[in-house]
Amino acid sequence: MTVQAFLQVLASGLLIGLIYALIAVGLSLIFGLMDVVNFAHGEFLMLAMYAMFGLVVITALDPVLLMPIVVGVMFVVGVSAYAGVIRFAMRAKANPGMVQIFATFGLALVIQGLAQYFFTPDYRNLGNSWLGGKTLNLGGVFLPWPQIYGGVISLLAFGGLYLLITRTDFGKALEATREDQGAVALVGIDRNRVFALGWGLGAALVGLSGAVLAVFYYIYPQVGGPFALIAYVTVALGGFGSIFGALVAGLIVGVVEALTTLILPPALKSVGVYSLYLAILFIRPSGLFGRL
Amino acid sequence: MNRREVLLAGAAMSLASSPLVGTRAFAQAGGEIAIGVIWPLSGPSAQIGVDAKHALETAAEIVNGSFDIDLPTAKNAGLAGLGNAKIKLIFADHQGDPQKGRAEAERLITQDKVVAIVGAFHSSVSATVSASCERYGIPYLAADSSSPSLHRRNLKFFFRAAAHDEMFSAGMFDFLDAQKKAGQKIESVALFYEDTIFGTDSSNVQRKLATDRGYKVVADIKYRSNSPSLTAEVQQLKSANPDVLLPSGYTTDSILLIKTMEELGYKPKNLVAQAAGFADKATFDAVGDKLGGLISRASFSIDMAAKRPSIQTVNELFKKRANRDLNDNTSRQFTSILILADAIDRAKSTDGEKIRAALAATDTPGDKTIMPWKRIKFGADGQNPDADPVLIQYIGGKFVTIYPENVAVAKAKWPMNG
Repeated sequence: MTVQAFLQVLASGLLIGLIYALIAVGLSLIFGLMDVVNFAHGEFLMLAMYAMFGLVVITALDPVLLMPIVVGVMFVVGVSAYAGVIRFAMRAKANPGMVQIFATFGLALVIQGLAQYFFTPDYRNLGNSWLGGKTLNLGGVFLPWPQIYGGVISLLAFGGLYLLITRTDFGKALEATREDQGAVALVGIDRNRVFALGWGLGAALVGLSGAVLAVFYYIYPQVGGPFALIAYVTVALGGFGSIFGALVAGLIVGVVEALTTLILPPALKSVGVYSLYLAILFIRPSGLFGRL
Repeated sequence: MNRREVLLAGAAMSLASSPLVGTRAFAQAGGEIAIGVIWPLSGPSAQIGVDAKHALETAAEIVNGSFDIDLPTAKNAGLAGLGNAKIKLIFADHQGDPQKGRAEAERLITQDKVVAIVGAFHSSVSATVSASCERYGIPYLAADSSSPSLHRRNLKFFFRAAAHDEMFSAGMFDFLDAQKKAGQKIESVALFYEDTIFGTDSSNVQRKLATDRGYKVVADIKYRSNSPSLTAEVQQLKSANPDVLLPSGYTTDSILLIKTMEELGYKPKNLVAQAAGFADKATFDAVGDKLGGLISRASFSIDMAAKRPSIQTVNELFKKRANRDLNDNTSRQFTSILILADAIDRAKSTDGEKIRAALAATDTPGDKTIMPWKRIKFGADGQNPDADPVLIQYIGGKFVTIYPENVAVAKAKWPMNG
């Protein structure tokens, strides 16, 4: 094992970790806001990737330019999912936790079924783009441009999200609602509206990651699965509801996953991540930065 | 319609589009013979199943209709041995999951009363489905599952006309030996395989062949299938830089492997693939521009259509349904239905035991198939030893047959990049 190979694996782990973090943060945000785990998170990611694919085919523009449109589309998808499904699930009188889980899970199955029917199970792939297939060579350590771009977008998104939550009225309303849903109603904040916007924001964030991922990953109806699984681990590791936690945990998952392959056979590469996750669960059940 | 009803309608639609519903109410009625076909129609390998469906339906069309093609059961409508009875395919979806496969097989046998089952692409699923068939005493025909362990389980009702991975891998190493003899420098190989029965069996055979024939295995990498990232794995390949890279993986992983190699600036000197993902059109649609010179083992070669008109006709019928040419997988799937129909025709019965006996007595010369095989004649273990594999190379955007020499239409480009 040379130093160069080590650096390569480390760098790749960090880059994919930033993307894992971006995928996870939307999930964490929705959970933090209203204690609902969105099991359709992977399907949102898949929809965003198909949206990007469709837009590129129709407009023949570069994915970098189309990114804001995908984010906008996914915001609408998130708000609609809340208004059309989750809002009703939250009204359940008995066992609301279970009802919410089944509602989002059902949503996931419906989205996936429809995607397979309308998009066909064929694998799609964005052809030539500005960044696609280009690589930066730093003294033998190769960094693919699409992933550097993804990493930068991810960091910018985290910065933007931090500003949004700390500096705007909407952010304050979000924070207030997650602190005490009853009290905000008393001061005239429409809880439903905050929840809907929260879902929109969560979906927009996963939409952003889908827009980035579509540049270098293949697209098919089940593409969300493996990423969603990692997102759940990331959120649990970083602490449910913690935005900063999602960023740190995403980086940890990416790096641990990559470095595990240097020590163990690659088939066991998830073992490192899941062992770490179990260890955290025992030592600090609320996750690294959780406030449960 | 309120919103809830719209959602329900959507859910119902997605269910209705899945092949599990709608085909169940049928059994042996009305002179039709039910054959169970089990493939991954949803899940990560769904495209394989969708292509398989087109291939199998093309075969049923030929069996049931009357076509002037030189293939068994093609000329007359239906099966002459059973009063021109027609066959009916009953589809089941296993999603690449051996346990779902077992459950679906039981359903096909006990409820749909199928006379035989054909499947299943994934070797892991063929293993469980064939075990169920054995228990109920109906034949199982493995169309496109290639793990060698499948025919070594002393099953009486298991049959496989196509080659298994030992035959395929032996073919690959024969080819490497031939290249070496012709003066090429080939000393090291790298194994890169997914972690289910297909990848591990394939790698076991290749590891043994490499050692026996004096090639050094410089990297032996098993990876988790459907990984979000293969960067660390490819980095190991790059460090090892073998003379020949031997990957065994399904479509998603193959696409990711090729993309990651490109990103890390790694150009393998030579790529000789165990088909699967590297025979799937989806892979070439996605990353075909990076695959020039790829060599894959195959059971089928479309070049042969020039010599054998039946291939041309079948390909045209298939293309009408699938909008693509027959390939390594679809040709084997097609052939499996014809073999089974021919056996039922000769058995003149729908009894499992009698069909089994007829399958065991099969002796079809290679030119009465669309395959490059010598003939179809099953051994006591249910394996057809005369299914000669070929090697094909991706040159100028299409596959050409390069090995063995008696069917080759072009000389191999070696090394692949120069």
